[in-house]
Amino acid sequence: MHDEEDPMDLVCCGLKVGQKVPDFKITTFEPTKGNFGEFSFSSEKKDKKKWTILFFYPADFTFV
Amino acid sequence: MGADVITVSCDTQFVHLAWQKDEKMLKEVTYPMGADPTGNLASLFGVYDEEKGLALRGTFIISPDGVLLNSEVNFFNMGRNIDELMRKFKANIHLAKKTNEGCPSKWKEEGDKTLVPSPELVGKVFEALQ
Repeated sequence: MHDEEDPMDLVCCGLKVGQKVPDFKITTFEPTKGNFGEFSFSSEKKDKKKWTILFFYPADFTFV
Repeated sequence: MGADVITVSCDTQFVHLAWQKDEKMLKEVTYPMGADPTGNLASLFGVYDEEKGLALRGTFIISPDGVLLNSEVNFFNMGRNIDELMRKFKANIHLAKKTNEGCPSKWKEEGDKTLVPSPELVGKVFEALQ
């Protein structure tokens, strides 16, 4: 085998539109409570009524 | 607006706290601010830049039954249009009820014309949208 990088490895992965989002948990800061918390996707989806919007941005203290 | 919004960056929750308390523009913020210092969540959604250790500007709308329905990713230097996000969100709500319809590009809100794919629509999209 050669050491050259396989161009396919450079192709990024990630969820595609139409796919089911797997469960995830993330630590949060909750501005309404002034406290830290946890967002759990599976508990959010338990009653199957809520839509979720995930909004990624590069860094705090910059524009969003 | 009928959805839970969570913002996510690769900062820790401690930095989120400091930023939210410091920046007057964020005074009215109520949504949880997610901390993804490992970039794991950003990687799951394909928006993690490993070299920089930062998340790209990605917006994702997920249905109540957990399916990813919309994805928009901008490079670091371009902000997002919230009107377009709201348009997509409203269209999702409409399409969840009217599963046989499609929302065309100019659809803005409830009451605007939608399309119902059928043999009769073939070649007649222009007329259907009049």
